[in-house]
Formats: sequence, C-alpha cells, structure tokens
Amino acid sequence: MKRAAATRGYLIAGVLIGCVVAALTVAQARVLAVTIADVFAAAPGVNYLAPTPGSGQWPDLLPALLALGGIFAAKAALSWLNSLMAHRAAAAVKSQLRRDIVAARLADPLADRTSTAGLVNLTTVGLDALDGFYSKYLPQLALACTVPLITGVAIATADLTSAIIVAVTLPLIPLFMALVGWTTEGRTRQRWRTQQRLAHHFADLVAGLPTLQVFGRARAQETGLTRSEDANRSETMSTLRVSFLSAFVLELLATLSVAVVAVTVGFRVVEGGLDLTTALFVLILAPEVFLPVRQVGVHYHDAADGMAAADQAFAMIDASPTKPDAPRPGTTSEAVVDLRGLSHTYPGAASPAVTGVDLTITPGEFVALVGPSGGGKTTVVNTLMGFLQPSEGEVRLPERDTIAFVGQEPGMISGTIADNVALGDPSADPGRIADALRRAGAPDLDASRLVGDDGEGLSAGERRRVATARALLRIDAGARFLLLDEPTAGLDATAEATLLRSLRGSGVTVVVVSHRPAVLAEADRVVPIGVHHEGSPA
Amino acid sequence: MSVLVRRLIGSVPRGWGRFLLALALAAAASLSSVALMGVSGWLLSRAAEHPPVMYLTAAAVLVRAFGLSRGVARYTERLVGHDLGLRLQSVLRVETYRSLAKTTLLGRRRGDLLTRVVADVDAVLDAVVRVAIPFASGLFVLLATSVIVAVFSWPAALALLISALIAGVLAPWLAARFSARADEAAIAGRGDLADAVHEVGRTALDLVAYGAQDRALARVASADDALRRFEQRAAWTRGLATAIQTLAAGASVMATLAIGTAQVRAGALDHTMLAVLTLLPLALHEVFSDFTKAAQTHTRARVALARVSEILAAAPIGRGDLDASPTAETPSVSVRDLTIGWPDAAPLRSGLSFEVGAGESLAIVGPSGIGKTTLAATLLGLIPPVAGRVETRGRIGYLAQDAHIFSTSVAENVMIGDKTADEARVRDALARVRLDVDPRRAVGELGASLSGGEERRLALSRLVVGDYQILVLDEPTEHLDAETAHALLDDIWAHASGSPLLVITHDPGVRARCDRELALG
Repeated sequence: MKRAAATRGYLIAGVLIGCVVAALTVAQARVLAVTIADVFAAAPGVNYLAPTPGSGQWPDLLPALLALGGIFAAKAALSWLNSLMAHRAAAAVKSQLRRDIVAARLADPLADRTSTAGLVNLTTVGLDALDGFYSKYLPQLALACTVPLITGVAIATADLTSAIIVAVTLPLIPLFMALVGWTTEGRTRQRWRTQQRLAHHFADLVAGLPTLQVFGRARAQETGLTRSEDANRSETMSTLRVSFLSAFVLELLATLSVAVVAVTVGFRVVEGGLDLTTALFVLILAPEVFLPVRQVGVHYHDAADGMAAADQAFAMIDASPTKPDAPRPGTTSEAVVDLRGLSHTYPGAASPAVTGVDLTITPGEFVALVGPSGGGKTTVVNTLMGFLQPSEGEVRLPERDTIAFVGQEPGMISGTIADNVALGDPSADPGRIADALRRAGAPDLDASRLVGDDGEGLSAGERRRVATARALLRIDAGARFLLLDEPTAGLDATAEATLLRSLRGSGVTVVVVSHRPAVLAEADRVVPIGVHHEGSPA
Repeated sequence: MSVLVRRLIGSVPRGWGRFLLALALAAAASLSSVALMGVSGWLLSRAAEHPPVMYLTAAAVLVRAFGLSRGVARYTERLVGHDLGLRLQSVLRVETYRSLAKTTLLGRRRGDLLTRVVADVDAVLDAVVRVAIPFASGLFVLLATSVIVAVFSWPAALALLISALIAGVLAPWLAARFSARADEAAIAGRGDLADAVHEVGRTALDLVAYGAQDRALARVASADDALRRFEQRAAWTRGLATAIQTLAAGASVMATLAIGTAQVRAGALDHTMLAVLTLLPLALHEVFSDFTKAAQTHTRARVALARVSEILAAAPIGRGDLDASPTAETPSVSVRDLTIGWPDAAPLRSGLSFEVGAGESLAIVGPSGIGKTTLAATLLGLIPPVAGRVETRGRIGYLAQDAHIFSTSVAENVMIGDKTADEARVRDALARVRLDVDPRRAVGELGASLSGGEERRLALSRLVVGDYQILVLDEPTEHLDAETAHALLDDIWAHASGSPLLVITHDPGVRARCDRELALG
C-alpha cells in the first residue's frame, strides 16, 4: 500500500498498541502462574502416591484479582481503540481512493476500460473490501510483528529451552506457508480460469433469461446448468483442497509446538529441573506467541480481497494521464483549428482509427465532417475537444473553454433541466435558460422539470435539445467554436440546419458531424473522414 | 438456520450427514485446543508433585494428540463444510433458475432483480460455512466444556457458562444488531455515493467539456463524507463488542481462579485441578473470537436468502418459455378489442385493434411506460390478453433492444434461434445479417466484445436461422449511431419483405419506414 499515507500513522500506533498488549499478556501470564503455583503449594497433595502436607501459606488473592481485572480492562480498551483507529485508517484510504478514482475518470473522459457499472461497483462495494484489510489484517499484522517478539523474549528469560522450541517452530510457519503457496500457485491459477468460466454460467443464463424465454429455450438450459454446477463444484473443491493447505500447516505447527513445549516442560518439572511457576508461565504464554500469527493467516483472504480492490483502483488511477490537460499549442490568428497528419490508434487495436487527416478551419467557417460509421469521425471530434492525445500528427486547437460541445449521447446530470442547461453558463438566470431552450428548438420544455438518472424522463431528442441549449448559453458567454457530433437517434434535421444557419450569422465557427443533406447543404465545406472504408458494414 | 437452508440441506444427497460431520469436526478442532490447555495444566500441576514419569505418560500422549488433531480436524472440517456449502449453492442456483424460467420476464420492471439474485444465491454458502457450523459447534464446545468443569466444580462451571454466553452470544448479537442498524442507515448514504459516481461515469464527457469537474468531485466528496460518518458509528459498536468479549474472558478467568482457590482451600477440589480450571477459560474464549464477524455475516446472508425465498415462492406470471408456433403459408397478425396488462396489475391499454398482413409494417409509438413492451409480450403469447383477441398465423419472433449475448461462441449464440441448425445454416444466417465474424469466436462477457451494431445483428441472426415469419422489433435503432442504424434497418426490411413487421419505436427514421402507425397513449 505504497500510497496510503493515512496508513503510516495508524501503523505506528498499531505497533505501539501491539507492544502494550504483548506486555499486558506477559504480565497476565505472570500473575496467573504465580497465583496458581502459590495456591498449589499451600494445599496438601500427593507425592509418589503418598499424601504430602501443604505449606499452608495461602496467598492473598485480592492483589492478583485486581491486577488481572486491570490487565483485561486495559486489553479491552486497547482492542476497542485499535479497531476504531483501524476503521479511521480504512475510511481515510477509501475516501482518498474514491476521490482519486473519480478524478482519474474525469481526467480521461473517454476511458471505457471500466464501465459505469464497474466504476460504481469499485467505488462502493469494491473499496469496502479494504475494510477487511485495515480492520482485520493490518491490526493483526502489527500484533504478529510485536507480540511474538515480546512474549518470546519473556519465555526466554524464564526458560531458554522452551523459547528455543518456539523460536525454531515460529519461522517454520511462514516458510512452510510460502512453500505451499509457491508449489501450488501454478495449479491454482490454471484452475482459477476454468472456475471463473463455470461460475459465470449461472449469472450469464439468468441475465439472458428474457432472451431464452422468447426463443423457448429457457427450460432446456436447466440440464446444462446442472452439469456446469457439478463441474464448478468439483473444480472449486480441488482448488480449495490445495489453498486450505497453508492454513492447515499454520494450525498444525502452532498447536503442535505448544503441545511439545507443554510436554517437555512437564517432564522437566517432574525431574525437578523447573518449578511450577515457570512451567505455567511458559505454558500460558506459548499459545500467545502463535495466536497473532495464526490470526494473520485467518484474515489473509480479507487482505487478498482488499489488495485486489486496491490494485484495481490503482490501475485505474495510474492509467489516467498525469496531466489531465496537456498544454495546447496556441492556434495561429488565421486558423482556429489546425490538424496535420493526424493519426490515432487506440491501445490494443490492430489498425488505426484514423490516418492522415489534415484539417484547417478559419474563424467563422462552417465545416461538416462526413464518413462511414467507424471511419474515425468521433476520433477527430475527441481530438478537437482534447479528450484524446492522438498517436501522431501536429495539432493546434482552441482552448477548451471556448468550445461549446454537443456530444453523440449528451450526458444529463441529475437535477432540473435548468441545471443541465446552466452547465453552459452557471451565471445564467431563468430567463436566459428559457431563451436558450427556445432557440434550441424546445420552447415547450419545462426548465424546472426534474431529470432522473441517465436523463430518465427525457427522450433522446429532448436530451439533444437540452444539450444544444447548454451549448448556446456557452456561446452567449463568449465561446466562439461550436462542435456537434451527430446524434444517435433521429431528430428534426431541418430545425437543426436552421439553428446552425443562425449561429453562423453570429460569426461562430461550427464543426458538425452529420450525413444529413439539410445540414450538409448549409456547410461551407464538407470534409470526408475515413472514406477509404466506404461500403464496409458496421 | 432458515427454513430454506434446512430444506436445501435435506435435498442434497446425505446433506444432514455432511452437515453433522462438519459440525463434529469443527467441535473436535475447538475442543482440541481447549483440551490441550486443560490437560497441559493438569500435566504440569501433577508433575510438580514429582510422581514417577509413567503417571504422566498418558497425559503427555494426549497433549501431543490434541496438538495434532486440532489442525487435522480444522482442515477436514473446512473441506466437508465447503463441499456442503457448494452443493447447496448449486441446488439453489438450479431451483432459482427453474423458478425464474417459469415466469415471464420480458418487459417486467425487473431492475436489478436478475443481477442481484446471482449474489444473493451465493449467500447460502456463508450461511452454512461461516455462520451455522461455527455457531453450532461453538455452542456445543461451550456446553461440553462447562459439563466437564462441572464434574470438578459446578460454581466454576457456572461462571464459565455465563461468561461464555456473554462473549459467544450476547456480544455477537449486539454487534450484529447495531451494525445492522448502522448499515441500514448507511444504505441511503451509499446510494447517494453510487448516484454521484454513476453521474460522473455517464456524463464525464460533458462535465469535462463544460469544465464542471470540480462540481462533480465535490458532490462525490460530500456523499463520501456522509457515508464515512455512518460507517464510523458502525465501527464504534463493533469495537465495543470485541471489548465486551475481552472483558468476559477476563471475568471468567478471575472467577474460576477465585472459586478454584476457595474450593482448594476448603478441600473440595484437588489442587492439581486449579490450573485446569483457570487455563480452560482462556482457551475457550478464543473460540468465540470470530463470532462477531459471523453474526454480521448472518444478518447479511439472512436478508439475501429472504430475497431468494421470495423469488422461489412467487407465483409465476404469464408463461416462461414460448412454444414454437407452426409456420403458416401467409403469416399475419390480427388484434381485436385487445386489453393488455400484467396478470397481477391493472390493465394498461384497452380497445386495441389492428391487422398486419404479410409484407406490411406497423410502428407502435408512444411515451415510455405506456405498455409497448407489454403489448409485445401479449402478441408473443408470453402473457394472456386481459380481454379481446390476438390471432397470429406463423412463427412469431422478437428482437429485443437489449438481447443478451451469451458468453459462448458466436455459433452457439446464433443457435438460440434454432438448436438444430448446423454449421452451414449458422454461416448462412450470419451472412444474411451481414455479420462477418468467425462462428467459433467467443463473445459475451468473458469473450471478445462486439460493437452495438454487431450485437444487434447477432441477435437478428437468431430470428433468421429460426425462420421466424412474424417479427416484433423493440427499439431496433436505440443506442446505434445514425449510419449503423440505417444499414441495419435496410437489412431487416430486406429480410422481412414477406413478413408482418411490428416495430416498437420512437425513432422518426424507423417510423418513416413503416406503412402505418399505432399510437399508444
């Protein structure tokens, strides 16, 4: 977690708490061992079958009980504190990542690596996986680093032999776990894919149920589902058999070494080499050495989930351009736009989306871009908007805040229609908003109407008009360049042509992607883009 | 355990046997660690009396055995438990699928039902592996330990039992209850955050184009701050539950120490047993450490499984599969005085009458929510007419605007239209919809992606290969750019030259192509 600055403070505090908890644990073992041994010595018992009298010196229990009470109360308070701090750290990291992810999405508005659903999922449920990492794994990791060391030293000062048994076993745990993980990694990864595919079958069928029903094929798929479920289960089980092995090694070594310590210590007590107090002290502390290490193993999956979410988030943040707005070389006074030899190949694509586009536009010009679907018109538009840095070519563009833009599928923010129009000029009053709507061909749209998620409640045509009104407001506010990408749904082409003609009169430069004769007829110039692909199907 | 989980366990081969085995193994694992401490405590105390070594051999063997059995029992328990959990998942998936397949899903406001059900069904594994087995085995271990301790000292057993109930039942219950309340309060906050992020995802281009990034970021930040406050409250109570558990463990150690000492002093308890009585609680309380988490898992799983139960219990609406209708010489659609609506809701439209003959096309237009897709479902025969008559002659097929592309080969996707189609017919169908892709290519979520136009064409190829004579098209040009839409419509009209064609649309381009128009609403 290299970026998580919020974590550093927490980690230090976590280690400190871990040290105090370890010290309390040692004290607890000491108090218990001494008290039990004292009571034991005071009471009568048997020695080699013969009864022996006790010393009769009964210890005063009150100080011991008070000490124990204090120790447990302190431990409870510390565990509470630790979990609160862990949550704070998790929340801080999640908040930071959420902001960074959204900022990254905005810095690279064309990015479709993550769908909107994926984006929402990552910023809500996905990042919640970090809770497990911070509130369970990390505190345990802090304890696992401090507690074994401190309790181990405590055991060593009391009895070196036991400390050696523990010291030999403890490093074996990570060693064996790494060994198990390393030898099974390849197999697990291979299985993972099959498993993913099989596990996906149910989701795929359920999502496709309406389609299957229409073709009368829904019931027939049940057999296939049953079969893939069986296959999925046996694949998953064979993966689990291997992946549970590391937890098995951990449990086995930890418990077995406690057992070995107990038995060894026991026989040394019989021989008189060790007193009961020390023996009990060692016995109580021995499991405490292993407990945090075992808990780390238990919460390893929480950590893995959290790391996976974090990785996904980092991948997204890292993929966005570090400088959201690369400096735009100023345009010359006679040209608003100057593109030379523009070519662009999308990452991962076999062939370029556009090649060799030259385009010079002078102020006040009305240029129409035409070309076949998939021929690269939208790539040119995105270059003009600066959403995209082309792979090749010399590009001179107007500043983005002088461009009024109407995209292919205009986005609607939630709020009223007026809120959406006002994006073009936040200072616009209701009168100007109504006027812009009227000029955009939507005099009947009620500006106070609420627009739902995704522009719900507005038809594609209405959305287009709202976006056009938005662009008009921006022109009123000083933008000199209008860029319209062809709408996806059919619209009244004549109305649009009329609108464009009137804009032209005001000296605004217009670039429009269109294939409609009414619009093309108004243009000064029609520039073909990607014509060599003409005739190929979409 | 819910009725659903119990019924599912019963329906799996040897389900209860597997469950009990997992339970026994889980109990054995926990008991091993408790017994390890108890016997070790006795071993050391007895050793301090310096008896001949042979008196300790049995205890020493036991200690080592418990050291081994814990790991082994835990490993096998996890395998047996997961195997059962996965079996339950499979059974529930198939049952859920069967139940959903019986009811008409086309055109119903299903929202997130279909996406959520997939995750909901998975909760059955958690309900068994992470809740039922640990809780039941933990309670068994608690009772067993108390009984054993009671043999030597019943007051100590009572103290142990009470403290363990606080740590193992009360604290997890508190955690679950309070975190459920906090989670509930956080739902709205979470929704706001999701909405804010959703807006950024959908409107990024416009936000950037109009320099409104900061406004969007601020909205996300404020939603995040609100959510953070809710989660803080939840963390507070969860921390409290852990603290209660630690205090209960401490109280139990102190109580057994005090009671044990008093009893040794009174001669009611052998002094070798004092270490046993005091060390057992420490080991026992460790068993409960994961219960808080399990209780929260329980709350989540219960809600998810309740939703699944609702789906399973719901009476089917309309019909699931559409039967293949026989082909006709001259296909036609005739509708008389039709009233449409969902069987469980008020009628949407009435008095619909129209005829569409071979080679004719009808545009069905109207604002969204007016019942266009309901009309399509009625025409197809997926739901019965509320009143009036629908008469179709010939095979009737439907092209959805969001037809699902299955995560398999192109050929398999085409064969949804006719499962008997051979490779030649598949290739022919693809050629006729002018889709130039390799039939063996994998598509769908886990395969290569297709463009919107290609997906629409692949869906159309199903109707072509299945020789559907009457076509009902739902928004065929939605989300396609003008040119792709134009080319697609050309191909549909060319293919459907002799068919009755019914098109649900609001696209003026599509309406212009149709012979007639039916306005709903």
